[in-house]
Amino acid sequence: MGNYRSVQVTKGPGGWGGPLVIRPTDQKKYIASVTGGGIHPVAQKIADLTGGVAVDGFSSKVEPEEMACVVIDCGGTARCGVYPKLGVLTVDVTAASPSGPLASFIKEDNFVSGVKADQIHASDETAAALPTDESAAQPKTAKELKDEARAKVAELQANKPQKKPNFIERIGRGMGNVVNIFYQAGRDTVDQVIRNILPFMAFVSTLIGIILYTGVGDFLAHVISPLAGNLIGLLIISVVAALPFLSPLLGPGAVIAQVVGVLVGVEIGRGNIPPQLALPALFAINPQVGCDFVPVGLTLGEAKPETIEVGVPAVLMSRLITGPVAVVIAYLMSFGLYSGE
Amino acid sequence: MDMFVHIAEGFIGMFQKGGETFVGLVTGIIPTLICLITAVNAFIKFVGEERISRFAQKCTGNIILRYTVFPVLSMFFLTNPMAYTFGKFLPEHQKPAFYDSAVSFCHPITGLFPHANPAELFVYMGIATGITQLGLSLGPLAIRFFLVGLIVILIRGIVTEYITKAMMKKREAQAA
Repeated sequence: MGNYRSVQVTKGPGGWGGPLVIRPTDQKKYIASVTGGGIHPVAQKIADLTGGVAVDGFSSKVEPEEMACVVIDCGGTARCGVYPKLGVLTVDVTAASPSGPLASFIKEDNFVSGVKADQIHASDETAAALPTDESAAQPKTAKELKDEARAKVAELQANKPQKKPNFIERIGRGMGNVVNIFYQAGRDTVDQVIRNILPFMAFVSTLIGIILYTGVGDFLAHVISPLAGNLIGLLIISVVAALPFLSPLLGPGAVIAQVVGVLVGVEIGRGNIPPQLALPALFAINPQVGCDFVPVGLTLGEAKPETIEVGVPAVLMSRLITGPVAVVIAYLMSFGLYSGE
Repeated sequence: MDMFVHIAEGFIGMFQKGGETFVGLVTGIIPTLICLITAVNAFIKFVGEERISRFAQKCTGNIILRYTVFPVLSMFFLTNPMAYTFGKFLPEHQKPAFYDSAVSFCHPITGLFPHANPAELFVYMGIATGITQLGLSLGPLAIRFFLVGLIVILIRGIVTEYITKAMMKKREAQAA
């Protein structure tokens, strides 16, 4: 038995969730740092205080079952939810709150965000061991419960037709089923809109307001238009965004691409950039898509550790070639777009 | 005093402009979006994940389908980020290429099917707003974005598969 100690991690300014108690065990001794380049100081401090082993999850793969906790820097939607879903305690150094399709797995007992080194404190050992195990297990049990309930409902539904329901009953049940599915679909949709779309609209609107009102737009137009307004400039943007050391940093939550997209959109609206260039621009601002997410994405695809070690550089290198190629293809395909109008 | 009034008005003016834009977005985009996403979500529930998995698996043998139809299906039905779980149907040396291909489609698909990645809708919407302002229709852009996306993910899949294979070979040679 290794001599592991426990730490308490509380949420930072603007953060969410926690406090989490982290205590590695022999089975779960790794503090995985999935922060795009090296071991994050927060991961290192947790490792130092607990006696766990800090590893860079980006360059070498760790099984989720072996993680005492994972340190991420995700302000978006993907990594935030994946690890809680896998039952791993998640420490986010970005101040993010639950969002995205996996938001339902992000709970106060498996996720804490906005964490800096100051938020990590050694904690009392006796209080530690149990809560850690429990909190790690909880999301799964909740899911299991749900699955069980669902299975039971399905069983009930499957059993009933055997009693030969009459015609009208069958129609009624069928209709009920259809309505239920649509209702749930609507609920999921409104949920998505409120949690993901509206907040970003608010942010984007504020940004557009400032750009339009202050004249910053005119200034930006001078900077961006020459680049986004012709093929060469778009190629330059795509090459820069695809650089292997930049792309994982530009990726998270597609925030950079979304903001640049808005800026280019405003310039198109004002007539500074011709509308048909919207198509190549969409590819030029986004060759880094998903570059921050390669190890996690491959883990979701159940790739082996060796594959991930090769896969990360393979994807990053490929982008350097395919990023500009995509812009050229999009440019060629934009001929005739909006030209007749 | 006048100066302060001026500053205050300018300050509020920025956000009034922002508010106008916000109302425009909410009344212009959200209603269509909600109806569209609801319909697609319901459709996905009707079809069911198992049937999709079975069909998707059939596409993986052929290199063209593997980096076009397969990632599109996974993105459409499982959406970002669960789409990448379909990588499990592929042999190890194709997994990075599939991920690359699938993740590269998570924006081109939003022009026609915003449900696949609503959190990152603004990569498309940001630019599309400019087109709308010019009074042009978004349809042609959305369709071309989708089609070019298909071509790009095919190229990306093939290139990444090639690089992955080369790197794996090199690694084996070093180990031997």
